[in-house]
Amino acid sequence: MTEPTGLPAATSAAPPNPNAALEVDHVSRWYGNVVAVNDISFALGAGVTGLLGPNGAGKSTLLHLLAGLLAPSAGRVLVGGQSAWRRPAMYRQIGLVPEREAVHPYLTGLGFARLNAQLQGLPDPDAAAARAIAIVDLTEAAGRPIGTYSKGMRQRAKLAGALVHDPRVLLLDEPFNGLDPRQRLHMMALLRSMAAEGRTILFSSHILEEVERVADSVLVLYAGRLAAAGDFRSIRRLMTDRPHTFTVSSSDDRHLAAALMADASVFGAELMGGRLAIRTADYDAFTRALPQIARANAVTLFEVAPTDDSLESVFSYLVRR
Amino acid sequence: MIVVGPIVGVTLRGMLSRRRTILLVLLAALPVLIGLLVRVSGGRPDADRVLDTLVVRTVMPLVALIVGTAAMGSEIEDGTAVYLMIKPIARWKIALAKMLVAAGLTSLLVVPAIIITGLLLGGRTDPMASIVGYSVACLVGGSAYAAAFMTLSVFTSRALLIGLAYTLIWEGVLAGLLEGTKFLSIRQATLGLAAALGVNVPGGQPLSPEVSVLVLGVVLVGSFLLASWKLARFEVRGGD
Repeated sequence: MTEPTGLPAATSAAPPNPNAALEVDHVSRWYGNVVAVNDISFALGAGVTGLLGPNGAGKSTLLHLLAGLLAPSAGRVLVGGQSAWRRPAMYRQIGLVPEREAVHPYLTGLGFARLNAQLQGLPDPDAAAARAIAIVDLTEAAGRPIGTYSKGMRQRAKLAGALVHDPRVLLLDEPFNGLDPRQRLHMMALLRSMAAEGRTILFSSHILEEVERVADSVLVLYAGRLAAAGDFRSIRRLMTDRPHTFTVSSSDDRHLAAALMADASVFGAELMGGRLAIRTADYDAFTRALPQIARANAVTLFEVAPTDDSLESVFSYLVRR
Repeated sequence: MIVVGPIVGVTLRGMLSRRRTILLVLLAALPVLIGLLVRVSGGRPDADRVLDTLVVRTVMPLVALIVGTAAMGSEIEDGTAVYLMIKPIARWKIALAKMLVAAGLTSLLVVPAIIITGLLLGGRTDPMASIVGYSVACLVGGSAYAAAFMTLSVFTSRALLIGLAYTLIWEGVLAGLLEGTKFLSIRQATLGLAAALGVNVPGGQPLSPEVSVLVLGVVLVGSFLLASWKLARFEVRGGD
């Protein structure tokens, strides 16, 4: 497991990391017998970090712990060096966009942003609300009730509410859900520009490509455990270089298996149920070599399918390492 | 205290959905409609008995139950409470704002119903004394009910069911049968306060004025403290 870029993970009873806006120190959270988050430690400074994991991995639980909306069962969560739990003053520094779509449907987008500004106790709530609405590109629809908004517009209204007090830390739970491609690009550019201004942004997603396009670093969560953390490229390499299994159907499976075993990219072949299962450690080299070897041996390929390419299996592999 | 205003405003707007408003107005109008029916049919029953049976025993707790559980519980259930809880606001201010809305709305619905019904029906002795006595007692009693039910909704998602059971089973049956448990009943304390204010309360011996005031005060203050305590430990429900 790698550590987040530039910021070592905290150890038990260690003093707060002065460079970290967010610090999670051996945190676990369980509900009865169910462990939602299991002994996680990391520290984050300025920049965009993606919280990646399949549904049910514990992403929302971790974000709620960071937002002080859940008490850790063990360990500690620090925001700006102080406990996140039972400290309302912390919310001057934090903006949260929850995953749940529920937003007061009778309020307009501008009214919702103004309400957030008023509850933050800002001196000029109207100006702050107008500024936040402009940032999320919702000015045209700002006067309409949120109940009439599309999912993407509602997402942007929630973001406006979270940005209204110009927070140093932004936590977003699946912020790209429901956004069309143009809105998605706008949101990505927005997150990047806010991170460039020195904010700490943590957003959750179960889509690898989303995280890849916007995050500098990544936390990979699987079954409540931190499977990997750190620079996105190195983790992406880990994911790509893991063993892959393909099933192949061809005109002569036995002959093809023998030929493939001679290739350096292949380390296992098995004939099973009329199909050939091939294991490789080099995804790219194998996919390049397979058609050439088949052609050289006069074997016709009927079907080639990766068997373990779901994100779930990638996460599971990272946890086992 | 600046933030209490916006919390009150958004709570009121959220609570007064069309369906809930109609239900509340119909409930509050029930004693008035019955009073009208009695007047039209030429009868002239005792206003004290109608106000006691219909308002204190039925309408007031039901209105307070609907209003009290909606003030905070419905926001917790639909997830919009999160936007309030992630603000730098002392939790006692949130509890106070929610209680003001719940108590204010309950009083706004119940007290006019008492006044109109009382005027329509009159009384055997002094109708104005009954109207004033019941109005003041229900102002305090209704606020105590609303505060208690609001607090209950902060603790459990089944507040409506538990509140209904308390009103119908505990107060409706047990508190009447077991004399010693009267002081655990908001209704009995409300009736005790009404009696102290000169109302000829039907039925058995009401609670003494001191005990009534003490019970209602403990419910109001206790509810406020408990709600503030629980909101300071607020945790979201659900999530992965």
